[in-house]
Amino acid sequence: MQTETNKGVTTARIVETRKLGPALRFVLALIVAIIVLLPVIWILSISFKPVEEWKADPPTLLPRRPILDNYKILFRIGNPVGTVREMVSSAEPVNRAFLNSLIIAPISTVASVLIGFCAAYAVSRYQVGGNFMPFFTLTTRMFPPAAFAVPLLFYYSWILRNYLKIDLYDTHLGLILMYTGFTVAFSLWMMKGFIDAVPRHVEEAAILDGASPWRVLFTITLPLVKGGLFATTLFVFILNWTEFLLALEFTSREAITVPVQISRYATAVGEFYGPKAALGIIASIPVVIAGYLIQRHLVTGFTFGMVRE
Amino acid sequence: MSEERPLILLRGLRKEFNGLVAVEGLDLEIKEGEFICFLGPSGCGKTTTLRMIAGLETPTAGDIFLRGKRINDLPPQQRQVGFVFQNYALFWHATVYDNLAFGLRVREVSKEEIDRRVRETAARFELEPLLETRASRLSLSAMQRVALGRTLLTEPNVLLLDEPLNNIRPGLREVMRAELKRLQQQLGRTMIYVTHDQEEAMTLGDRILVMNMGRAEQLASPRQIYHRPETLFVAGFIGRPPMNFLETQYRVEGDRAFLERGNLRWEVSEKRSIIEEKVKGNRIVLGIRPEHILPVAEAREKGLTGQAVPVTVDLVQPLARKKIVDLKVGDKVIKMLVPGTSSLAKGEELEVIFDPRKMHLFDQKTERAIV
Amino acid sequence: MADLVHKPSQANATIRVSRLARIINKETNFQIALVAPLQLLLWFLLIVPTIVVLYLSIIAWQPILGDWTKAPIVWLKNYGDVLSDRVFWAALGRTVAVVTIAVSLEFIIGLGLALLFRGDFLAKRILTSVILYPMMLPWVVVGFTFYLLFLPQGPVNYLLRQALGPGAAVSWFKEPLLAFSTIVLADVWQWMPFMFLILYSGLGALPREPVEAAMTLGANRWHIFRHVILPMLKPIIIIALVIRALEAFKIFDLIFIMTDGGPGTSTESISLYIYRLSFEYQRLSYAAAMAVLILLLVTVITRIAIRPLEYHQE
Repeated sequence: MQTETNKGVTTARIVETRKLGPALRFVLALIVAIIVLLPVIWILSISFKPVEEWKADPPTLLPRRPILDNYKILFRIGNPVGTVREMVSSAEPVNRAFLNSLIIAPISTVASVLIGFCAAYAVSRYQVGGNFMPFFTLTTRMFPPAAFAVPLLFYYSWILRNYLKIDLYDTHLGLILMYTGFTVAFSLWMMKGFIDAVPRHVEEAAILDGASPWRVLFTITLPLVKGGLFATTLFVFILNWTEFLLALEFTSREAITVPVQISRYATAVGEFYGPKAALGIIASIPVVIAGYLIQRHLVTGFTFGMVRE
Repeated sequence: MSEERPLILLRGLRKEFNGLVAVEGLDLEIKEGEFICFLGPSGCGKTTTLRMIAGLETPTAGDIFLRGKRINDLPPQQRQVGFVFQNYALFWHATVYDNLAFGLRVREVSKEEIDRRVRETAARFELEPLLETRASRLSLSAMQRVALGRTLLTEPNVLLLDEPLNNIRPGLREVMRAELKRLQQQLGRTMIYVTHDQEEAMTLGDRILVMNMGRAEQLASPRQIYHRPETLFVAGFIGRPPMNFLETQYRVEGDRAFLERGNLRWEVSEKRSIIEEKVKGNRIVLGIRPEHILPVAEAREKGLTGQAVPVTVDLVQPLARKKIVDLKVGDKVIKMLVPGTSSLAKGEELEVIFDPRKMHLFDQKTERAIV
Repeated sequence: MADLVHKPSQANATIRVSRLARIINKETNFQIALVAPLQLLLWFLLIVPTIVVLYLSIIAWQPILGDWTKAPIVWLKNYGDVLSDRVFWAALGRTVAVVTIAVSLEFIIGLGLALLFRGDFLAKRILTSVILYPMMLPWVVVGFTFYLLFLPQGPVNYLLRQALGPGAAVSWFKEPLLAFSTIVLADVWQWMPFMFLILYSGLGALPREPVEAAMTLGANRWHIFRHVILPMLKPIIIIALVIRALEAFKIFDLIFIMTDGGPGTSTESISLYIYRLSFEYQRLSYAAAMAVLILLLVTVITRIAIRPLEYHQE
């Protein structure tokens, strides 16, 4: 897009010195990327290693006896070998966990970001709730989850079930509500930051022209903070996708999510790193895809008002 | 002013964005101390040109010279140009004082000197009570003054303004326009002013560059642009209500020449030689401004002759002191400007005459003016 | 100058404010609609559990003692116990240290990367995805990966031995300071991308015109960065730091998996301590009191940190 190209050129001109041209940037970025990748490579390596090599001494990058069993186990393909068989019976195939996560995470993310965005707009432009309310929402993030888990459990199982006849334990809706509720503070504060960075007079002009506030919100402000919106969405999605503690406490069969599933690959003898690594890798794929797709939207083509070229 | 080389020279300037051509083949000389307007509709390339002069865009081809020196690769920081943005682009987290002082601080001027000059400018623009106010809390007119003030403080070679009055409501706009003009004359600084409002350009500019679709249409003084538009576009763009255009056929009969449209004929014998020299083909567009159309009676009083055109009044729109009357000529509607006292009413039929001294002829193919 | 244009600017400002005020009043319904879902959700989610926790904290109860409704109310005794608990203070201090170091590192590296990535270069999209990757792994996976990496026989020691000789290997999990470092390292590795993401999109959302204005006013890159870009970025920076610090404060999974608080209790974070109290020692009331205290502490600090972002009447 025209504006984005201009923007890229202009800010690039500011930030880059004559020396720090694209070539140097590439090299630096590559170096950082490789450093970041090192642990990932190790996970991958583990996922293809049989049990005796997980803690082998000396450690090798490539498996001496590469196997696909770790992955096969996840999907209950074929006949797993040796000690792994014990574990298989205690954990379900990942299909259900994946399905659940694919339902719960996106729904709660969208809900969270939407609710957060609206509230952020209200706080930023109209100071709704003053200084207290937005701050109050942060308390959802301040409690150590361990402390919260027990009372919440109590709330869900006992109070809701007995007094309101609603059973949210081990349900999709139950998790969705919790995930939305616990991430909405993020959405609010992150979007607030981005909305604050947009000066108001474009919106004011539209309002004075007679546009309804809802229209202004969605047709003017939203596009301008598109980058922040996508960053927030990605982040909240990651939070929801990888959330562990609450899922652990609040699901048992029906609504288990992928992180919970990962934790179940263990026996009395020890942790099963192979399948855990394999599932970890697979579990990260949806997020990676999402991250890659939104990249183009992370930079908003922002100019005050309209650009006439 | 001595006939030295121009302050700014643009030669063959061209700018492309991802294959889209924004500016094409632009040649322009800007004299020191003049107030020149870039005028044109959205997307005509006027802002792009301005930005290239400022150094915010690099030309794809062509050259820009400042005082004889080629500055294509010179970054904006070193060009000593002042730029006032359409939305002012103030540092809105900073105070008015900081905004004004920015350019001076960059140049490492002493604190006392900065203070003196900032306050002086603030006084001139009546910003004193606002010096400690954050830029984000200012009214639009105050913002504009701050934007102007902070640019002037850096004493630029030339002041570039990109539709700075766009966001000001109409009443205030005229007043600020006048202020700008007066300021420019006072300071004697060169100003390049971009706008899409032809009224604005006509009032402000010493010269106007009319642009359309990336190309220069005409560069001339406001008078000339009004009286002698060189292209169809310029003719139709300037003037409110805009010029009326009628397509005609050129016909010669004996030693007389005519423009024909249906059963209407306008004699153009005196211009015959020019027309035949310049025009290929025989399609000519006849242009006449609404203010130069008169009812037959009035025209005869003034001694004007010419084809009497039978019309029907289609619509009467009152303005302040005049009225715009839509007239149906066959299947076409033309507009006529009459005094507010006129009693013309819808449905009325009358005859009008185009003031022959004010008719503009254009070659339909090239869209260039003939006379 | 003509006085028509320049009636005292305050009048202009006042006009603007009252016009806005009128508009705001007309739109109270709009505002209510905007925040209603948020409010409903939070109240639904928060009230009862909070009340439960508060109540728990003022009674003396452990599950083995039977019915909680019959437990005696001891008011602030639990709180007093917490405040005089040396383990508590140690865990708190440790947690603060982890947060400070880790978040600072994440910020600096994240900012540097965000700036680096502002220009265009080869394979930018792919490299961005790579750098964002650590965030996308579940904690548990990051935890055991780093555990395996830092095992005595693991790759890190292996590389150290190769590079610096046989004596260079260290027992990462046997020394408190080293264990501490591995945890910080794991956290930075996992969450630096977050900072990068926020700062990168923050930079991208900044309007370009003030930057261009600064250029025409003669400012060089550094000056623009310091005086134009950074101040505009300030709200986003503060929020990023606050959010990340809040999360880091609750650090649990990483420590649980990598060191289990060890060696001894030298890497026990406050979350871990509360967890132990709740689930292993079953001292629920005590844990509740501690949680409330932590909440208060965090609230106060966050409040101070957010102050620059608050709205003031002028």
